[in-house]
Amino acid sequence: MVDEKKETRDVTEEVKEKMQGVEAEGQELPTKDGLLLEKEEEIRSYVDRLKRLQAEFENYKKRVLHEMANLEERISDREILYFLPLYDNLQRAFTSFSGNNDAQSFIEGIEQIFAQFDEILKQKGVSPIEAVGNLFDPAKHEALLSVESDKERNEILEEFERGYICNGRVLRPSKVKVSKGKTETEEEKT
Amino acid sequence: MREKIIGMDLGTTNSCVAVLEGGAPEVITNTEGERVTASVVAFTDTGERLVGRLAKRQAITNPKHTVASIKREMGTDHRVKIELDGKVEEYTPEQISAMIIQKLKKDAEEHLGGKVKKAVITVPAYFNDSQRQATKDAGKIAGLEVMRIINEPTAAALAYGLDKIEEQTILVFDLGGGTFDVSILEIGEGVFEVVATDGDTRLGGDDFDRRITDWLVEEFRKDTGIDLTSDPSAMQRLKDAAEAAKMELSSRKETTINLPYITADATGPKHLEKKLTRAKFEQMIEDYLNRTINVVEATLHEAGKSADDIDQVILVGGSTRIPKVQELISSRIPGKINREINPDEVVAAGAAIQGGVLAGEVDEIVLLDVTPLTLAIETLGEIATPLIERNTTIPTEKTKTFTTAADNQPSVEIHVLQGERKMAADNKSLGKFQLTGLPPAPRGIPQIDVTFNIDADGILHVTAKDKATAKSASITIKDSSRLDESEIERMRREAEEHSEEDKKKAEEIEVRNQADQLVYSVEKTLLDLGEKVTQDKRGEIEDHLRRLKEKLSQNANMEEIRQAMESLSKSSQQLAEEAYKQAASQKEEPSDASKGDDDEGNGDYIDAEYDDK
Repeated sequence: MVDEKKETRDVTEEVKEKMQGVEAEGQELPTKDGLLLEKEEEIRSYVDRLKRLQAEFENYKKRVLHEMANLEERISDREILYFLPLYDNLQRAFTSFSGNNDAQSFIEGIEQIFAQFDEILKQKGVSPIEAVGNLFDPAKHEALLSVESDKERNEILEEFERGYICNGRVLRPSKVKVSKGKTETEEEKT
Repeated sequence: MREKIIGMDLGTTNSCVAVLEGGAPEVITNTEGERVTASVVAFTDTGERLVGRLAKRQAITNPKHTVASIKREMGTDHRVKIELDGKVEEYTPEQISAMIIQKLKKDAEEHLGGKVKKAVITVPAYFNDSQRQATKDAGKIAGLEVMRIINEPTAAALAYGLDKIEEQTILVFDLGGGTFDVSILEIGEGVFEVVATDGDTRLGGDDFDRRITDWLVEEFRKDTGIDLTSDPSAMQRLKDAAEAAKMELSSRKETTINLPYITADATGPKHLEKKLTRAKFEQMIEDYLNRTINVVEATLHEAGKSADDIDQVILVGGSTRIPKVQELISSRIPGKINREINPDEVVAAGAAIQGGVLAGEVDEIVLLDVTPLTLAIETLGEIATPLIERNTTIPTEKTKTFTTAADNQPSVEIHVLQGERKMAADNKSLGKFQLTGLPPAPRGIPQIDVTFNIDADGILHVTAKDKATAKSASITIKDSSRLDESEIERMRREAEEHSEEDKKKAEEIEVRNQADQLVYSVEKTLLDLGEKVTQDKRGEIEDHLRRLKEKLSQNANMEEIRQAMESLSKSSQQLAEEAYKQAASQKEEPSDASKGDDDEGNGDYIDAEYDDK
């Protein structure tokens, strides 16, 4: 214990000596206040950097939103361009028909435009969803009506509106009439 | 990463889930790609369980095993009986709700890429204790720890950040697909108290669709004598078209409902084509809308408040997009509507914020301000050229390079402006300073970087620095973001009101600046080419030059200036071609850098001329 105390004193003295030595050499030891100020400055600069980074992130998010809206518009523009030729050709068909009143050539023209439309959809990877005769699948079909029939329960009897699939994603489900089957109907009657 | 607590709006018709990301609520898209999920559950023949859109699609084939609007049964003894393979299973409303929650949870996990264990779920303000407990239990059944059940109107208020504002009274108007609620909340020191709530559990957007569908059926019957109600396919097309028309009428005054080949009779195919005006639609749903306003009255009365006591009205639910709804609310409580956040998502967003607070995530976020108005400097023709757009989060820094407008301009003035108007004079002047000592140079050559730096305290430092000499000057503006709300509002409103005329004015100045630039560069080309230009050509061009200058000094209208510009461009274009030809014949002749710049300048305007053709 005593030794320890002594040692402490020794250390204190040692420091004192050292400090005197340093002062003698014309240097200054960093004071507590000085260190504190330095650290404060460091913290201030970190916090400023953090805030700027965060603000930049927020502004980046805003910019991305803005750019996404622009992108959406541009994609929409591009898609419209695909379909304008169809519109043009329909107009041509009507102009020609009102000139010559030739129903046969009008129908031929429309068939041509229809084929053109088909081609565009094919290019885009759009294909119709199979319905009638298949089993109802809510992932691809939407039931508008359910009726008794000789067919198996859940078999699609009629397609009201064709559905389409594009590269594996359902663009629009087929709107269909579905068989209730027979058994259930009989049960209901009893 | 800290554990996320998701926010769920478990609705009667639709549900929505959101999570706080980077301090802001993000709505989570479900696996079908939708931002809201239909609150419908179905059990198929094969024992499969469907939730959302798929369940909705098969409802007609499987009505007994499809459950919709389960929220109406929460907290009751109601049991859903499902018979599969001769066995009857009974489900409580909590269990059915849990299936919806599970689907939302799964979608959230997919989005976040990790397990979700905790959630905040919203309920209507009028839910009693047993209904709230049932909702909490539903969460538990779905494998979630429900950290808190909060009121839907409270969530909406949280989404708008109203907890941060001192004492306020707000009215939340929630018109959804099938239910309608009005709540009055008192907010103070982060505490929300529902002082009154009222509503109609059978009123919503679906009713409006039905009115349009009925009208279409009736009109078609009048026109053709055919009753479409017995044709499910036609009815489905009518319903879809009715909903689309309703939505369209929120942004347009009139829409056309066009359904070719809707049906056929002995005389051939029949088409439906009807115009529906917004006014007609409003008339169709007038009784419903009056009911909503009566409920607002009743709620105010119950809360013992007058319209003047309400500080803000928050809109929730898709049907609040209908302009007439907003108009009616405004006529009762003028000037208080807040509808910045998507009304379909605002409740889930608020729940996500509550989740973030409970997760401690919000504390970690340093709340940053935004610049309430655009900060700009004045440029040639008294135009306000923005450097920092409004709503930019601060601290931030932006630099743009400007140049001189006259030859040998010795200094530039930096006039700092605040506001949304296109013309400098219409904005608020924050201060100005000069950058002097620019070395003599032709106009357009000096490059002066102007930097706007706003620190976290909203203090704006503007610095202008000439790149050539590195000379700089600056100004510090203390209160750039310390405008009071009403002043900001006034400036925004003015900008909106004047946006058309401001745009026109700015365009005019743009044309004048272009004309000015054209005069300058043609004169310079003439000077540079000197003798190489024939006397005739020079005369012709100088003629055009004089005419354009006259127009500019006489304040002629835009069309006249444009025409004069065009004729000058045309005649001087040949001049430039001539000059190029000569240059080509004298190729390999070295040219100094500044010359190259000039050529570029001329090249620019010639390009523009080619574009015109």
